[in-house]
Amino acid sequence: MSERKAGTISVELSIPVQADLVVLARLAAATLAGRAGFGIEDIEDLRLAVEELCLSLVTGREDGRLHLSYECEGDAIEVACWYEDDHMAASARRAAADDLSLKILDALVDEHGRRLRDGRAGAWLRKRRSDRAV
Amino acid sequence: MLTDEAPRQGGDTKALFFELAAGRDPAVRERLVTAHLGLAHQLARRYVNRGEPYEDLVQVASLAIVKSVDRFDPDRGIEFTTFATRTVIGELKRHFRDKGWAVRAPRRVQELYLELGKATETLSQQLGRSPTVRELATATGATEEAVLEALEAGQGYRTASIDATGRNEETLASHLGGEDASLGAIEDRVLLAPALAALGPREQQILQLRFAYGLTQSEIAARVGISQMHVSRLLAASLKRLRSSVTEAEAGLTDRDGQAEPEAQSSSAPAHERRAAS
Repeated sequence: MSERKAGTISVELSIPVQADLVVLARLAAATLAGRAGFGIEDIEDLRLAVEELCLSLVTGREDGRLHLSYECEGDAIEVACWYEDDHMAASARRAAADDLSLKILDALVDEHGRRLRDGRAGAWLRKRRSDRAV
Repeated sequence: MLTDEAPRQGGDTKALFFELAAGRDPAVRERLVTAHLGLAHQLARRYVNRGEPYEDLVQVASLAIVKSVDRFDPDRGIEFTTFATRTVIGELKRHFRDKGWAVRAPRRVQELYLELGKATETLSQQLGRSPTVRELATATGATEEAVLEALEAGQGYRTASIDATGRNEETLASHLGGEDASLGAIEDRVLLAPALAALGPREQQILQLRFAYGLTQSEIAARVGISQMHVSRLLAASLKRLRSSVTEAEAGLTDRDGQAEPEAQSSSAPAHERRAAS
């Protein structure tokens, strides 16, 4: 599902916690970043970061769904990810990420954070187009 | 087992970096490299499930740690581990770009990826920056979608193609070869050792294969001779037992800051929430 409002592109995605479907989460991010003119280095970082974001929420889980929302505005893309299952209380306790995840996200994106929403564990990241020299 | 914790940026590390900057003493350099090799192992494990041998990834990551130690400027005000993580990930990305062809990508995707490699090199030199997807599509005559797909495959992701055949019901976490987040909460090995000893031999073996050797659940299943789902259940049960043992042990100790209260890592709320609130 996607919508466009005044310069912002919003896309929402909901996927089961299943290994072969995380490609959708990465590709959605890469596609939006590609449309926004991100260089491929930035896009590679974004793919890794989205994967890390998903992983940090679902480790040790075998069911449930990941809800992802993407917002692309100007030279920045923001991805938010929420985990949902039938055990909200357990989900809420999992909102904290391990140190390595935080280090990896620090290395790959401009900003990131953890959030709880309606008892669901969530995380978000924001990456700006860098136009960095190679 | 369970020994490769990322070193904390303590005063000692900082002092050593200042010492290194002042004298370029090889012994100091070696101490710093050795102290941070655990980070190389952790990061290598994170990306182990992409067709490249773990040992190769550790080697790439370890060399990146050496490079990081040589390049780190303690005056810049960032933690060494942050700087090193960035360097290690960059080197691992490059490694996958060059070697990531254990992935079962369709031939057309592989061919396009090779073409993209050449185009990227040429365009990067011409433009002085990383080319965009559109620029690469124009240069190779491919669609932007095909470029994105090939780039996905080129990073060694096992699920290389969105239209890959076959249904894989492995869980995401088991597939990515990542480290259980819960491990961070049970990293105190003093507390962990007795709890580990209380587990059965098979549970201990599975934990060791998972966390010390970085095998995926599927790889463990093949080695131990049980299903991946069974491995997953055993891991979950073992971690649950470890967690409760550690929690009980911790309760007997003095106050420690826990991670039960999740907090944002950044003070600013994400745009998603700012919009929802307005």
